[in-house]
Amino acid sequence: MKVHRLISVLVLVVAVFLLAAGPALPQTDPGVRPGAINGQQGATPTNPLPLSSVSSNSPQGVLEFFQNGLSRFQDIESVSNSPTGNNGLGPRFNLNQCSGCHAQPAVGGTGPANNPQFQVIANGVVNGSTNTIPSFITANGPTREARFPFFFNSNGSPNTNAPNGGVEDLFTVSGRSDAGSCRLPQPSFAVAQETNNIIFRIPTPVFGAGLLENLDDSTLLANQAANAGNNLGISGTFNHNGNDGTISRFGWKAQNKSLELFAAEAYNVEMGISNEIFTQDRPLPGEDQLGSGLPASCLNLSGTGYPEDTTNFAPTVTSSDSFAQNASIPSDVVQFAMFMRLLAPPVPSTSTPGGAASISRGQGLFSAIGCATCHTASLNSTQPSNFTSSLGNSPVNAFSDLEIHHMGVGLADNVSQGGAGGDQFRSAPLWGLGQRIFLLHDGRTTNLLSAIQAHESNGSEANQVEQNFDSLSTQQRQDLLNFLRSL
Amino acid sequence: MQYRILRFLLVLTFCLSLPAWGQNAGPQKTPQNGGDFSTNTDLTEKQKVPAGVIIVKGALASASDSTTPVPEGGTVSGNAYGNRYFRLTYPLAPDWTQKYYGPPPSDTGYYVLAQFQPSDTYKGATRGSILVTAQDLFFTLTPAANAFELINFAKEKLPTDYKVEHALAPVSIANHLFMRFDYFSAVAELHWYVLATQIRCHMLQFVFTSGDTKLAESLIQQMNQLKLPAEASPILGNGGDDVPVCIKGYARDENIIERVDPVMAERRFNSVPVRIIIDKEGKVKHIHFLSAFPDQANAISDALWRWRFRPYLRDGQPTEVETGIMFGRAPRPVRDAAHSDVSE
Repeated sequence: MKVHRLISVLVLVVAVFLLAAGPALPQTDPGVRPGAINGQQGATPTNPLPLSSVSSNSPQGVLEFFQNGLSRFQDIESVSNSPTGNNGLGPRFNLNQCSGCHAQPAVGGTGPANNPQFQVIANGVVNGSTNTIPSFITANGPTREARFPFFFNSNGSPNTNAPNGGVEDLFTVSGRSDAGSCRLPQPSFAVAQETNNIIFRIPTPVFGAGLLENLDDSTLLANQAANAGNNLGISGTFNHNGNDGTISRFGWKAQNKSLELFAAEAYNVEMGISNEIFTQDRPLPGEDQLGSGLPASCLNLSGTGYPEDTTNFAPTVTSSDSFAQNASIPSDVVQFAMFMRLLAPPVPSTSTPGGAASISRGQGLFSAIGCATCHTASLNSTQPSNFTSSLGNSPVNAFSDLEIHHMGVGLADNVSQGGAGGDQFRSAPLWGLGQRIFLLHDGRTTNLLSAIQAHESNGSEANQVEQNFDSLSTQQRQDLLNFLRSL
Repeated sequence: MQYRILRFLLVLTFCLSLPAWGQNAGPQKTPQNGGDFSTNTDLTEKQKVPAGVIIVKGALASASDSTTPVPEGGTVSGNAYGNRYFRLTYPLAPDWTQKYYGPPPSDTGYYVLAQFQPSDTYKGATRGSILVTAQDLFFTLTPAANAFELINFAKEKLPTDYKVEHALAPVSIANHLFMRFDYFSAVAELHWYVLATQIRCHMLQFVFTSGDTKLAESLIQQMNQLKLPAEASPILGNGGDDVPVCIKGYARDENIIERVDPVMAERRFNSVPVRIIIDKEGKVKHIHFLSAFPDQANAISDALWRWRFRPYLRDGQPTEVETGIMFGRAPRPVRDAAHSDVSE
């Protein structure tokens, strides 16, 4: 009886303590928002929704192109002998399927909770006797590409006078039954880690990417000028396409001009598939720049000749629907780009997490303390579109200015792409943030609060805004986190 | 005999080709050091890439010599921020410190000179921050021609969710004229006090942010310990006396006697803002790149050293003049030089 009474008293004391301490509890990241995928009723993990005019098949045939692109985005690629004809994988690659990495919360997104790169040996995608899973690829960690900021020199140490920065593909086709006698070693990941000569990137989600593509430079420049009077220490710039000098906008450093270029580069670099824009198989940066390229035994493994992905000169499907036939004619790269272009942007929640009032306050705080100076809530508006009406004359609620900003030594990766230096990154579009798992360019954290705090370091443009964030009360910070997870 | 020699050569060729053939089909060879590969597992600390250092830089600031002061050259020393270019000394409030230094100058001529926050030993009940910036008026994205117009632009562009608490008005700080305006965010419960003046054709700006208006006011009061050059004022801070006079658009055709265009090795599309000091004879004396890739800076320097200008006359006497030139991609249509000249 005494024990029961004692327990009751203890429970009461603990309850009172918790109630009293409740308001003082530190703010927490609500985590990945549950509920409808991308905030869209009807979306599923394998069927993300297209733009509304695409859903209504306007112009006629556009829906077939979207569906065809979505299907190809989920194709599994082989080196040769693919029963579905998807050949050309490798000889080096990071995964064999676009949607393997672009999966969260749906096809077209970013890295999923269960990392498919960790399963490549178990799934027979690579041969375990010729490949190992690098230690930075874990079962529930982010899907990643790796880059060595510097080349190794002849004594095996990184040479900081020899910038590299290219993608070091994780796996090789060596040992696969469809890869012939090609024998390639994996890059020296372990030594690169020991010598601090490795950085990572995670996949950027592409929902709403067609709207970003369809913003005229004048809109971006006007937004930059409008923000010139900020009192926050912020002054970004743009990355430019090396061919025509216009503003580039895709990728972590805004290094790619268009979705077609973005898709073609990924097909070549991440999957090793040559295409009409990147027409050769890709060696490692050192193999190409410091060596002799790929060995002959690793070339033309598909047996199709180059490029491995091409326009089909005749429909590849048998269908009574002429639009379905039409959609099968373009190359994979063109259809990947079309799929990305026609994807609908995420729809923010007005009530989850934390309730409508908290989200509303958080939205106000996001603007007031200066986050919105770089993560511009809305850019108005897109150009008229020759693809489909939803892409034209539309606001772009991406929460990005598409500028590159100095983010300081804390986030710097010592990789230069186009005009972006080692610490410059594009303001990551935050639409869809509520359902992302891994955050920042390298997926170093799953905690939104940590991601915010990582914006502060020597040389960062965000230091003053971070100071403003630090000055907020616990409840205000919680409101801000709730708002961000509502996106 | 010829047949024997031919047969010998064929056999020899076949034998020599065997190792190479076997290599393709054989087990994976351990790669040599170099490029993407390293077999070295006995690396010393010195052989590692240093952490927290930006080695691969993009466009950056540089100058033709290391002795002529430049805006980004200020330092926090002891309990004060000093800047030789602006001839500025800003004594810091006790227990305030610069935790992080700011980003490099931007290609629109914006500088984060210093940013301060309470140190770990700070005893105050409330917190705040101090941001000291400069905007080169030769390269601003705004139509402003002087600091007064620029701070007014900032006030006019203030998002509607802020409330202006103190309209833009002149104030005296350390016996110099500043423009000041204050604003407030109700949702963030933060106040911003913004003060600006002009030195050497730059808007020099102090921004105090805090939830505590008394703290912010006390920080402004401490600004009276500032040491500033005589020229400092919201409109007339155009250099002179012991530094060159600054004139926007001086490098226009009628003032250029000899001009050599830079030969760029690589086609880039970034803006390259450059400030030059022209000596009394019309020769380029100093070049300051606010933002340029090293190859751009080299090519532009090679050209600029060969430029010759009509000497600038002030009261009939040749005078050193400082002006700005935008190379590369100009981010905005440049305003009419005659209109935007600083009046003397």
